[in-house]
Amino acid sequence: MSATAGQTMALPPAAGKRRFSSDLPQVWIGMALIALTGFGPSLVGNSYWVHTFQLVNIYIAASVFQNFLFVDAGQKSFGQGVLLGLGAYVTAIFFGLHNYPFLAAAAIGIAAAAAGGLLFALPALRVQYFHLGFVTLSAAIVFPQLLMSLDRWTNGINGIAVSMPDLQKEMVFGLSPLTLIVALYPMAALWIHYFIRRSRLGRRMRIAAISPEAARTLGIKPGVMRFIAFIIAAIGTGVCGVLYLPTVAFVSPQGFNVELSFVFFFAVVVGGRGQMLGPIVGMWIVFILPNIALAQLVEYRLLIYGVLTLVTVMLFPDGVVGTIERWRLRRSVAGRGEQAFRVDAFLDTLGAGHDATPGEDVAVEVRGGLKKFGEVVAVDRADLTVRRGEIHGLIGANGSGKTSLLNVLSGLSRLNAGSFVIDGREATRMAADRIADLGVGRTFQTPRIFSQLSLWDNLRIGIDARVGAGDPGVARLAAALEREFSEDSADLLSHGQRRLVEVMRTVLKEASIVFFDEPAAGLSQSERANFAKLVTFLSRRMGKTIVIVEHDLDLVWGVADAITVMDAGRVVATGAPAEVARDPAVQHMFVGGRRA
Amino acid sequence: MLSEIAIIVVRGIAIGSIFSIIAMSFNIVHGATGILNFAQGNMFVLGGFAAFFLANGAGVPLWLVMLAVSAMLVAACVTFQGWITLLPLRSSVEQDSWLISTVAASTIIGAVLLITQGPYAYNVQGIAPSFRILGVRTPGAYALAFGCMLFWFVALRLFLTRTFSGLAISALSQDFDAARAAGLPVRRLQLVAFAISGLIVGSAGYMVAPVISVTSDAGLRYVLAAVVGGIGSNLGTLIGGPLVGVVTMLTAYRIGGAYQDLASLLVLVAILMLRPQGLFGRSSARRV
Amino acid sequence: MLEVKGLYAGYGIVPVIEDVSFSVRAGEILLIGGENGAGKSTLMRAIAGFNRPDRGEVLLDGRPLQGMAPEAIAQAGLRLVLDGHRVFPELSVFDNLRMGAAARRSDRAGFAAAIEEIYTVFPILKEKHRKYARDLSGGQQQILALGQAFVAQPAALLCDEPSMGLAQALLPPILGFLRKWAESGTRIIIVEQHLQIAAPYADTAMIIERGRVKWSCAASELDRRLAAETHPAG
Repeated sequence: MSATAGQTMALPPAAGKRRFSSDLPQVWIGMALIALTGFGPSLVGNSYWVHTFQLVNIYIAASVFQNFLFVDAGQKSFGQGVLLGLGAYVTAIFFGLHNYPFLAAAAIGIAAAAAGGLLFALPALRVQYFHLGFVTLSAAIVFPQLLMSLDRWTNGINGIAVSMPDLQKEMVFGLSPLTLIVALYPMAALWIHYFIRRSRLGRRMRIAAISPEAARTLGIKPGVMRFIAFIIAAIGTGVCGVLYLPTVAFVSPQGFNVELSFVFFFAVVVGGRGQMLGPIVGMWIVFILPNIALAQLVEYRLLIYGVLTLVTVMLFPDGVVGTIERWRLRRSVAGRGEQAFRVDAFLDTLGAGHDATPGEDVAVEVRGGLKKFGEVVAVDRADLTVRRGEIHGLIGANGSGKTSLLNVLSGLSRLNAGSFVIDGREATRMAADRIADLGVGRTFQTPRIFSQLSLWDNLRIGIDARVGAGDPGVARLAAALEREFSEDSADLLSHGQRRLVEVMRTVLKEASIVFFDEPAAGLSQSERANFAKLVTFLSRRMGKTIVIVEHDLDLVWGVADAITVMDAGRVVATGAPAEVARDPAVQHMFVGGRRA
Repeated sequence: MLSEIAIIVVRGIAIGSIFSIIAMSFNIVHGATGILNFAQGNMFVLGGFAAFFLANGAGVPLWLVMLAVSAMLVAACVTFQGWITLLPLRSSVEQDSWLISTVAASTIIGAVLLITQGPYAYNVQGIAPSFRILGVRTPGAYALAFGCMLFWFVALRLFLTRTFSGLAISALSQDFDAARAAGLPVRRLQLVAFAISGLIVGSAGYMVAPVISVTSDAGLRYVLAAVVGGIGSNLGTLIGGPLVGVVTMLTAYRIGGAYQDLASLLVLVAILMLRPQGLFGRSSARRV
Repeated sequence: MLEVKGLYAGYGIVPVIEDVSFSVRAGEILLIGGENGAGKSTLMRAIAGFNRPDRGEVLLDGRPLQGMAPEAIAQAGLRLVLDGHRVFPELSVFDNLRMGAAARRSDRAGFAAAIEEIYTVFPILKEKHRKYARDLSGGQQQILALGQAFVAQPAALLCDEPSMGLAQALLPPILGFLRKWAESGTRIIIVEQHLQIAAPYADTAMIIERGRVKWSCAASELDRRLAAETHPAG
């Protein structure tokens, strides 16, 4: 029946797979490069390069955090130089002018940077996109002026000089403590970035950045994610500021102008957004090239930053490392064909072992739901009752309001009038993440598959969204999926398999109520049959309540316990499948259209 | 006291008119392309430089000719920059490259101005005589700023609602795919939008050069103030721009002395923090 | 003649449309059916240039159109009406129609005549010609979207789900209009879910399944072919 079944090939065993993510090797290479440039000059005793790379390494660390903020959290900040400046200046004020112990002054400096990050994060809770860029940019413009004007505290244009000879003292092999610290810190920053990215927090942050809508249905508050990201980046960058102080031994307003913020941003872009190695390679190109090759032409620096970045965006939109990484991924993907993702075998580990039957109590109830988009009424005073444990089919022509109703129920849009209850809780005004935390899961018409994440991580974000203790059977399923799919790219999945991944995500989330939005679209007949089995399994063996919006009436009539029919936003029939099939209004609607 | 209030109001509105003009030049490009051109402020300053080099101390006829020349020169620059910015968007899936390329362009223009002209502020002689309003002696360029704002508001409104190209640019901003399906020449219209935004900032920069600081790094600040005034709606910015102008002027006056520049900047930053979409702006964004 | 030969298209590396071929002669309406997700919209978008086809040809009277930008394809005379009654909400009804003329700007007389004609067929557009399109109902917006395409007088028209979001009673007048339009020599493709309602207005029909042509037949045989493979539900 299925034309593409022949193309679906089984994969070689997991052991033979190429690595999906190159993050870890990139971190190791990054460590090696930083070690080379951080320690090398000291070993050969070249003090010019020692000093230059001290500063470069600090800037690399700041770019690592910019990279994290930009890609993992999706926040475009043009003001990271301000945070570094806050760390450096505040430390300098307390240490250099008020004679605090260095560590105490440093703590205050880092706190100041964190406070600065907080200021950036506040608008990020509400706006996105270029607005945020402007807020951070405005901070970068105002910062040096602020330092200049507040001369009572900052010494104004004269700056603050500090002296920390102990840190510069050479120990073994010509290495000073400072050289060690400023080389170790960017390495640490790389590891921090790496571990956050691999953590639950990191995955949720990334999902929130890529698809806020999907994130919310997984119980994620995108605003909170941004907030956390800004604070982490601010503290990390603040530490860079603290290290700047002994390295340069002097702070002045000119050192922290817009240019500095741009350098961090440009380094990430030129090196390769999101690549672990990106900030290192990018900083070398953006900063070292103009500063060292053209040391005499200081005023040309900005011009070179700008041109390098513009050229990179034009020629290598993915940046230097990103372009190489893309080539690697393409090569590892070549010849693989469509990927197999089957779950039947895994499902045996699940379920109560006996069949559940739909109860009488209500899981979802909508009363008089009205949803308008401008003048267009998408849902017109609809009533819907879904009993616990039942499979409820929601059918109707395209544009009849089914998906609008589903979006309302999952909290992605709000009713204009009417109300609905989920699991006995009034949920009409609940945000999507709260509804998700009530135990609701959903899939989308276009599956939300994130090609930046491995196939396993695409599934795992379901586990990340789970509320409460997990079922041991699901844990075994998860372990099996992890073994099988941790190095697979989600990009190679066929349409039908993408749907299956989304369904499995809700299983791993252990959602007790699941909304499927046209799950069978694009599936072959055999995939449909399997999907029908899967839905029945979820309902009968796992006791889930399921609402399924679907055009394949055979499928709906095959699995549903109750069916609701919508037309032009209104509910025109509801009841048991046999009753609904006899309803003249419904027969009129679907005769002839049923197979199309 | 009364005259001080008059100074604040008159000059505030005039400076605010500039913010409003820049915001309008943002709007037309943003509507047509979804791009917010970070380099727009530099282009405005370019207009100021044009006034210095082409028409400083010129008589009225030459001044008028050079106004047209300057506006078109800046429009050519903006169009070229727009063309570059739109290039990678044609094929790539990466749709926010414009953010990077316009910031990079802004950096490049600022740097070129710095290298060729140095970090100094240029003094440009005004063409319009100073006049008295509310008992306050006011440089003529302030009146030009206000007039320029009204002119561009009306001109844009007529263009966008009466002419075919203008309607088509509006259509682009409302439904990009439907516009392409209808066969509207999308890239050409987008370049026209860039060109018009260049005419706007070029003419404005030229006319108000005597009262702005024509320096290599002034660009971003005007952009900032324009954003605070609110972008997204020309009508909104007609009020938002002058309001921001008066507020910054008032702040500068109350604080005074060395801090006045800083204080007015801080007010802008504070407003942005509280209302990042600007005073009368709409926070919406569409992809190209 | 509009010919599509061996068309492949998709998103990224995921193929959606595979090896689709068909042709529509002048004055003919081809009705395309298929399940949601079968790739009908992707096919329309690929023909109209919104998705770059990976392989294959789109020929309008022998002229290859594949690989061109959507606006260029529209100007070459192939016009796609997107699904979901998409109009320019902040423009007046008249200005919306005017935008339709983008593909034939030099022909002012033809434009005026086309406007008159569309006003005669759908008087509601004339009645509301100064209203913003956003203030129209969904059905009126769909009519406006078609009217916009009509004033362009394309050689070929692709119409993606004209019934989407509309009450079914609105469909027959729209289809009747398309039928008359086709008879003036335009090649028309209609993607529709309500096959039974649409079939009487069409000449040929084609069913898409999983991105491939499942079968095609004369529109008059469509009912029988569908019934042959349908098994009763429930």
